[in-house]
Amino acid sequence: MIFFEQLGTYFQMLVYHVSNPVHLAILFGSVLLGIIFGALPGLTSTLGVALLTAITYGMDTGSAMLCLLAIYVGGTYGGSYSSILINIPGTAASAASALDGYPLALKGEAGRAIGLSTTSSAIGTIISMLFLVTVSPIVLHFALQFTSFEFFLLAFFGILISGTLTTPDLVIKGWISGFLGLFLACVGRDRLQFYPRFTFGIPELDSGIEVVPVLIGAFGIPQIIQVLRERIQIGDVQKLQRITPEFKTIIRNIPKIVRSALIGVGVGCVPGIGEDIAAWVSYGAAKNTSKHPENFGKGEITAVLSTEVANNACVGGAIIPLLNLGIPGSPPAAMLLGALMLHGVTPGPMITFEHPTFIIECAAILLLASMCMWVAGMTLAKQVVKVLRIPAPIFMPIVGMLCIIGSYSLGINIWNLYLMLPVGIISYFMIEMGYPIAPLVIGVILGPMADENLRRALMVTQGSFWPILTRPVSLALVLIMAWMVLIQIPFVRNWKNRAVAKTVQLFRNKPQG
Amino acid sequence: MLDKATLRKADIFSGAVVFLLGLWIVGQAFRMPMKDSFGGVMNVWYVSPALLPLFIGGILMLLGFMLSRTGLKTVGSAELKNTLQWLGSRRLLWFLTSDGSMRFYAASILFLTLVFLNLPRIDFFVSAVFFLFPFITMFYFYDDFLLKKLLALYAMGAAAFILYFSLGIDAVAASLVPFGADMLAICFLIIYGVYAWKWIRRDPSRRRKYRIAITMAILAPFFIGAIFKYFLMVPMPKEGLIVAVLDYLWYLEF
Repeated sequence: MIFFEQLGTYFQMLVYHVSNPVHLAILFGSVLLGIIFGALPGLTSTLGVALLTAITYGMDTGSAMLCLLAIYVGGTYGGSYSSILINIPGTAASAASALDGYPLALKGEAGRAIGLSTTSSAIGTIISMLFLVTVSPIVLHFALQFTSFEFFLLAFFGILISGTLTTPDLVIKGWISGFLGLFLACVGRDRLQFYPRFTFGIPELDSGIEVVPVLIGAFGIPQIIQVLRERIQIGDVQKLQRITPEFKTIIRNIPKIVRSALIGVGVGCVPGIGEDIAAWVSYGAAKNTSKHPENFGKGEITAVLSTEVANNACVGGAIIPLLNLGIPGSPPAAMLLGALMLHGVTPGPMITFEHPTFIIECAAILLLASMCMWVAGMTLAKQVVKVLRIPAPIFMPIVGMLCIIGSYSLGINIWNLYLMLPVGIISYFMIEMGYPIAPLVIGVILGPMADENLRRALMVTQGSFWPILTRPVSLALVLIMAWMVLIQIPFVRNWKNRAVAKTVQLFRNKPQG
Repeated sequence: MLDKATLRKADIFSGAVVFLLGLWIVGQAFRMPMKDSFGGVMNVWYVSPALLPLFIGGILMLLGFMLSRTGLKTVGSAELKNTLQWLGSRRLLWFLTSDGSMRFYAASILFLTLVFLNLPRIDFFVSAVFFLFPFITMFYFYDDFLLKKLLALYAMGAAAFILYFSLGIDAVAASLVPFGADMLAICFLIIYGVYAWKWIRRDPSRRRKYRIAITMAILAPFFIGAIFKYFLMVPMPKEGLIVAVLDYLWYLEF
């Protein structure tokens, strides 16, 4: 009965959005803007979501989510344009698509590659939407059993795992970045005793650090400086022929699509890891299981299919922990969390009580966004690729202007800018020195959750940490975190590698039959 | 990102900075109420606001130390000595004045002056053009020599504005001329435009780029600003000359 009720709500939401011309215009506009943001090297879907958050400030929550999810979906897909046509990934998520997409374009099959990327991205988003609807009740069921200890450990786990997996250099740097984010979250009056922490007597810091300006600064400013400093120039754009939806290729590769979607959703669920990792893992899996791995990198059509399904499936995957636990699965999802907070929606286990139809509405929006993206991709791709000819020194300063006015307009506070710019410049130096930015952002977002829940848990237990070891989920999280830390020690890593090798050897030597 | 060898050297220093930051956080946390009274409420250690900062500070100290140690082990003391010598040599000056560094300074100075100097004091639209026109012209010509020339002029203009505001000349000027700061910014923009034109006028392709730069620098703020000001109803950080004109036009009853 509940299932049919939910299904009814889902279709109701679809009809509600489709029948509203303003919503349709927002949807198309945002998807198109997302595609442009994704296509332009240097701009990302995270930045797109960040900038649009400011514009959605005055909208109702439904319209805002329509706008933000549409730009997220469009941005994740849009990166494939520049990957395929100029061999420069528009976003990190589409870097893997360039490996085979560009050779296809050189062979004169750019239209086919873009068509396949469009259809597979839409399918990836739709599959992830199905997961969002089906997995959310299960996650929520477990999340409702969580106590403050679990939430503290989840926040801590999110920072550690995102630090471990997103670092381009040493793992320690990922962790440092995460803890710096946690430190930033401590700034302001603490919520239990109202004691001012690290405010230096500045009244504007009393309410803490505004999340969205920090996110805009951390993601936007370094990108602008980096692109202009390194003079990233766009090469010749390959000719785009007729775009075909490639349904036959899709039907022939259904198992690969399912595998890639599972990878995308799975990676998306892990806190802080984005679409880029999903795409690379899927690319690796496709290559390892292919009968012709030697064709990869030379224009293999299934490679484009696998990466594009996975990176767009990551969108729905990243929203699962975001909505159910309040932990963002990817950097754009972190931006979404900031936007949701602005609109008075607090993601977490209570979301179905406070906003009973919210998850269903998000699922409906994902479906609409993916359909809209497909239509836009099939019909407007030739027009959209023209933006690739805009030189970076023209659009980057304008994006900088948008970052500034966007940060300011959130709360109409110039102090937001005084915060955003130093964070942006520090983030630039951090990126240059091999520190990932995603854990910093996750730390800023999850900091209040970690702080409140740690102290609340200790208040309940009168200062005892014992429940961490007696509660199964807490214990599991502690063990996983301990393993993540221990595995970085060379001695433990060597021991693990030897143990794995011995086990594999044992199975190989096992007599058959 | 830097190359691996340079990264390890940088790690020694960034690790030390992280360690010191951690130490400072711990020091600050010890000043927070632990078991004593705050606001009439007796504390216990586990509800202290210092709990998480102590934890974070401690971990940052540990991680910073480990990072420095890893860097030092990889680089070795001889290479560290070379790096320290490099930091005290003329080669550091060359690095700091290299083309890449100049581009970084240009972008940073443009952002810093916009946020900390212009936006709070000069009309939003003028500030935006004051930001975009120099920004686009400095980078769009892909000429580091020209970038340095334009940056030098811009920096001089910014210094003049700092003096103008810090010496209180703006208050005196405001009593004599309405929108004095806006007028001055427009004058500077004209000087900047003429100076840039002087450098590029002989090259037809650059003249075309110059025209594009002017068009974009003027159109973009009006498009973006109008959306925020008149459609999203966001009051601009400083509403001066241009906003007054636009308000007049927007609210004009025909």
